[in-house]
Amino acid sequence: MPAGEIFGLLGPNGAGKTTTLRILATLLRPDSGTASVAGHDVVAEPERVRRAIGVVNGGMGLYDRLTGREVLHYFGRLYGMSNAAIAARTEELATVLELGDALTRQAGGFSSGMKQKIVIARAVLHDPPVIFFDEATSGLDVMARRAVLDMVRRFADGKKAVVYSTHVMTEVEELCDRLAIVYRGELVAVDSVQGLYESTGTDSLEKAFFATVRRVGQPLVAA
Amino acid sequence: MRAGIVRQIAGKEIVSTIRDRRAIVSNLVVPLVLLPTIMLGLPLAFGGLFTREQATQTPVAVQNLDELPPALSELLLSANVAPQASDDAEAAVTSDSVSLGLLVPLAMSDSVAAGERAELMLFTKRGNLRAEVTASKVTGAIEAYRQGLVSERLRDAGLDPAVLEPITVSSVDASSAAERSSGQLSWIIPFFIAIWTLVGGQMTAIDATAGEKERGTLEALLVAPVRRSEVVAGKFLATLLFGLAAAVMAIVGYIAGGAIVRWLVRSRLSGEAGDMLAELGGSLQITPSSVALLLVSTLLLAATMAAVLLCLTMFARSFKEAQSYVAPLSFLLIVPVVALQFNDLLDLGPAVYLVPVVNVLLLMDGIVTGAFDWAAILLTFASLAVVVALLLAFAHRNFSRESVIFRT
Repeated sequence: MPAGEIFGLLGPNGAGKTTTLRILATLLRPDSGTASVAGHDVVAEPERVRRAIGVVNGGMGLYDRLTGREVLHYFGRLYGMSNAAIAARTEELATVLELGDALTRQAGGFSSGMKQKIVIARAVLHDPPVIFFDEATSGLDVMARRAVLDMVRRFADGKKAVVYSTHVMTEVEELCDRLAIVYRGELVAVDSVQGLYESTGTDSLEKAFFATVRRVGQPLVAA
Repeated sequence: MRAGIVRQIAGKEIVSTIRDRRAIVSNLVVPLVLLPTIMLGLPLAFGGLFTREQATQTPVAVQNLDELPPALSELLLSANVAPQASDDAEAAVTSDSVSLGLLVPLAMSDSVAAGERAELMLFTKRGNLRAEVTASKVTGAIEAYRQGLVSERLRDAGLDPAVLEPITVSSVDASSAAERSSGQLSWIIPFFIAIWTLVGGQMTAIDATAGEKERGTLEALLVAPVRRSEVVAGKFLATLLFGLAAAVMAIVGYIAGGAIVRWLVRSRLSGEAGDMLAELGGSLQITPSSVALLLVSTLLLAATMAAVLLCLTMFARSFKEAQSYVAPLSFLLIVPVVALQFNDLLDLGPAVYLVPVVNVLLLMDGIVTGAFDWAAILLTFASLAVVVALLLAFAHRNFSRESVIFRT
């Protein structure tokens, strides 16, 4: 993946998207095969990989009794940042993400949208070149969802490589330069959205998804 | 392992716990207050009841009151017993009119004067504390009357009353000052320390493991460039700190609370209350070196409990589930504590000091009573150190297992 690209991982629940991202994030060891992130092997150099990535997923939360600033400071220190660097980066992210008074309030009282903004700030605090989003908009209202999608675009414009995993086709259509379709643990297609339309003779991602799955002979109902 | 990272992780857990009002109350305030309340408050309250009951004029139903010898009647009155005439002493007790009945045999005064044996009968409901106090007053008076009669009859027969006591036995308490002052219930101190090292660390351990999973913060922590060993060490240290703090609060509460209560109510600490307080170890006095040993033992026990808590709570998916895992541990602790009460009767060899938790409870009991040896200390400390290391290795392994960290 080149810098600045948004790469979509599309598939239904249970397809293997999260497992793939967890392997790339060094949380799980692959049974076989190899993977590298930012030039580092995920098995041989897990710490280097972790320094190069930021991870945002829909189920991620915050420490309820810490303020937004304390959450960011804690993770900044874990990433080896100095106090001054953390403070400067926190102010920068507060402006970009419009964190308002969330930096001084305890996270237990945040709305789901604000919580997700702090989760994103935490993931990019150390300015990683690669960011993984996994179902990052699940459970968010329309306004918060829009803010997250805009942020993903902004990160890509800032020359970060973004892997965007979701089962929401409209988000992939809107954001992704290329996508991979994952189905039942198999990678069944890798193409651009337009390329997928052309290869399947369809005009929507949903139709293209089903056409692709049928073409590779996968059953369309759960086993 | 990087000390700075461990400090950050431990620091975050400590701040989270300190900001939880429930945790502070249950970890620090309750242990500070509970032990003095139980060990000092209860004896003061109930000891006072016994003293008051002894001093109160208690009515006793006496059947055939006219037959009661005047000397015995006087002794009963001086023992704060008020004899009341009754047609049926047993029925009076059965109907709860009085707590004690006394049947005086017909012509008792004549029988006694003739040198014959008279048989008195006491009626009481067993298990009734008030009746037992009254019975002790009545039997005390009767015993004094009996001894007077025996002496009188022996003198009439030209014999010295000492002929009835050809042998006397004196029992001398040969225990050390520490053993005497610790009281018979000295085991309660190790028990409370054990309970508080467990309870004190509980909230922190659950929040640091199952709580992280439930909130969805564990994944963020594990994708940061920290080693699993640093995560385990940081969470272990925070759990240990709160377990230790709760236990220390319990000890401080006991010592300081005892001193304050004794100072405040010195005048009331005579009689039953004073006896009960001594029995419960309320006047515990141990040397500074014993205090140091007690603290080191507490530290090791807290470390063991913290490691057990981390290993256990890591498997839970939520705070609630973790609490259900931890709850039975308190009951498990009761088993060695009950055994501790009978350790004088059990023939326990040095090998018992290799059994985790049991060993440190026995050792603490020995430290409190001043009866311990260095072999026991070495065996206990070595055994606990090995157990803690093994448990932490297990916790470290679990922090790397998919089936554990993603069990949500």
